[in-house]
Amino acid sequence: MTVPSALTNTHPTTAGGGVLPHEWLMDRLSLYLRRAPESIDPGVPLAEYGMDSVAALSLCGDLEDEFGLEVEPTLLWDHPTVTALVRHLEQVLPAIPPAAGAGALSAALAPARDQR
Amino acid sequence: MSESRFATFTELLRARAAELADEDVHIFLRDTAGGTVAEHLTYGELDREARRIAACLQEYGVGEQPVLLVYSSTVEFLKAFAGCLYAGAVAVPVPLPGEAGRDKRLNRTTAVLQDTGAKVVLTETAAAPEVALWLARNSRPDAACVVSDVPAIGDADAWRPVTVRQDDYAFLQYTSGSVSEPRGVTVTHRNLLANQAALQKLLRTTREDRFGSWLPYFHDMGLVAHLLHPVWLGTHSVQVTPLSFVKRPLRWLQAIDEYGVTVGGGPNFCYDLCVRRVKDEQIAALDLSRWRLALNGAEPVRPESLDEFAARFAPAGFRPEALRPCYGLAEATLVVSGGTPGTPHVRKDFDKSALERDRAAGAGTEERVQTLVGCGRPVDIEVRIVDPLTHHELPPGAVGEIWLRGYSVARGYWKRPTETIRTFRASLNDEESGFLRTGDLGMFDDGELYVTGRLKEVIIINGRNVYPQDIEWAARTVSPALTFGVGAAFSVDAGREHLVLIQEVRGAGSAELRTVAQKIQALIGKEFEIPAGNVLLVRPGAVRRTSSGKVQRTLMRTLFLDGVVRGEYEVLTPDVRALARADDALFGEDLLRPEGADGGRRW
Repeated sequence: MTVPSALTNTHPTTAGGGVLPHEWLMDRLSLYLRRAPESIDPGVPLAEYGMDSVAALSLCGDLEDEFGLEVEPTLLWDHPTVTALVRHLEQVLPAIPPAAGAGALSAALAPARDQR
Repeated sequence: MSESRFATFTELLRARAAELADEDVHIFLRDTAGGTVAEHLTYGELDREARRIAACLQEYGVGEQPVLLVYSSTVEFLKAFAGCLYAGAVAVPVPLPGEAGRDKRLNRTTAVLQDTGAKVVLTETAAAPEVALWLARNSRPDAACVVSDVPAIGDADAWRPVTVRQDDYAFLQYTSGSVSEPRGVTVTHRNLLANQAALQKLLRTTREDRFGSWLPYFHDMGLVAHLLHPVWLGTHSVQVTPLSFVKRPLRWLQAIDEYGVTVGGGPNFCYDLCVRRVKDEQIAALDLSRWRLALNGAEPVRPESLDEFAARFAPAGFRPEALRPCYGLAEATLVVSGGTPGTPHVRKDFDKSALERDRAAGAGTEERVQTLVGCGRPVDIEVRIVDPLTHHELPPGAVGEIWLRGYSVARGYWKRPTETIRTFRASLNDEESGFLRTGDLGMFDDGELYVTGRLKEVIIINGRNVYPQDIEWAARTVSPALTFGVGAAFSVDAGREHLVLIQEVRGAGSAELRTVAQKIQALIGKEFEIPAGNVLLVRPGAVRRTSSGKVQRTLMRTLFLDGVVRGEYEVLTPDVRALARADDALFGEDLLRPEGADGGRRW
């Protein structure tokens, strides 16, 4: 009944082939909130975009599948914005490859802020 | 298959246990850190455990009183449910009180505890601390919290069989009613057996069928169709937890594949979730060819959802004719109508503007067409289409309130005689009596039942019935600026149902408005578990009321859709903005949205 990791290992990749969690995160949020990724302000609580329990749990499932991370179902309510969520994930995700690790997460956020 | 020899579900269960002692009745797929673990329950074990739990309930002197059932494992739930039947007690399936238990006024489980006055709550070891704490917080230390999965509790040999009659209550279904005014549907043994027989005729189920569900046991479709119908037939069901399904819809589909499930379903949104969340390579690894009935009920059925699901899962061997839209409600125990298995479901195009005025007409101009999915033909139940004002029956083809009469229709609402008479004892044409008013609007076309809308203002999103007054009440609690304001909550159809809340605000500076709206949105998203993407904060007096002070939600909905109601601050999802602010685009949206991006609009 467990999903073979090979099936779920579909990280979006950059031109350089590295993992880019920020793009991945915005892609998932965009799907669950049914709005364009560039319209999601990282500083705004996701509830403002219509985040509910189904969307929040969907992302929890993705995080567990993609990063092997066990997260609490309350994750999205405890860390209600993209910025807060990324900050939290940086602390609990030491296993992300260095090229796309903590630094990349923060760096990837900067352009999104400029897009407002 | 004639089951009329059983007068009660209890008799039926005891006969099954004697006949099928070593056969599985249920398989619960438990999520653990190391993966999924299958826990099997046989008919023999179920009978033994039910006697033990019943003996324990008899020690508590429960009699024919309600007993709350609070579980995460459906194996433990089924044992407790059967235990209540054996003791002659009234089972009341409810969700875990959860975090929302901190605010007792928002909590459905607390509302049910108070409405039933239950003195015993059955639960399992893992949930016991949460349940005990919740009882203490709600000033009910007198209510006993009994942990049923501890073998030392109760002695199966001490159980004394009780006499149960057909019209005694088997269980209460609290799927209808608001949190502020919960309504427990009283289902008797006669109701339950009649609806089980109707399900069998409708779905043509046999002992060869296997059932697979992710629905909670406290959901009428989960309990009656997916947990109890297999018992009635003498076969078994497989259960994935609701949490596991929402996190990974693939889990449900994998269970269907792995256990050869032939019957299983849920509300429309669960099919959308599967389409969006399951990946191509995962579909390639699935075999869904044995799934003959993918039931779709409990919320409006959307033709797009059916088409997308059928197309997406065709590579896994899923057959489009397996999609089975049906209609039912807790007040009728569960099922009312459904199509013929093995044949494609029926659709028809109607004139959208006629439907909006609750009339039916064949499709006219192409841009105003609404395709409705037929919910099949009623089985073992009398269905009439009635003018909700005059209570006179309407001719075929007319849209009216759906009224029902038959053995599946429950006795009424627990301890609510006035509402019971109003809802369950309606008189038709001043001559026929004893009809259930469903509050749903529909019509017959060529014998097929189409559900076109709702008379009640209940909002159905994610398969959940949400009452506007609960949302409006909850919203007012987030800020003092809202305490004296009136709110109107309703839903609009923008490709799917969206909640809209229009709330009066006073004494808040414009800078605070967005924060206030965000608090409301977080509260609704978390506690009601539906998206709250559309909130308008308006000036006092902007929410229309009748002379007696009743909120005019239908009028507010029309004013909103016509673009008349605008918020001091408002935030809308893109779909709803396109619907209610269509004219804005003509004037250049940017000019009207100084805030830019996607945030709120300020005037």
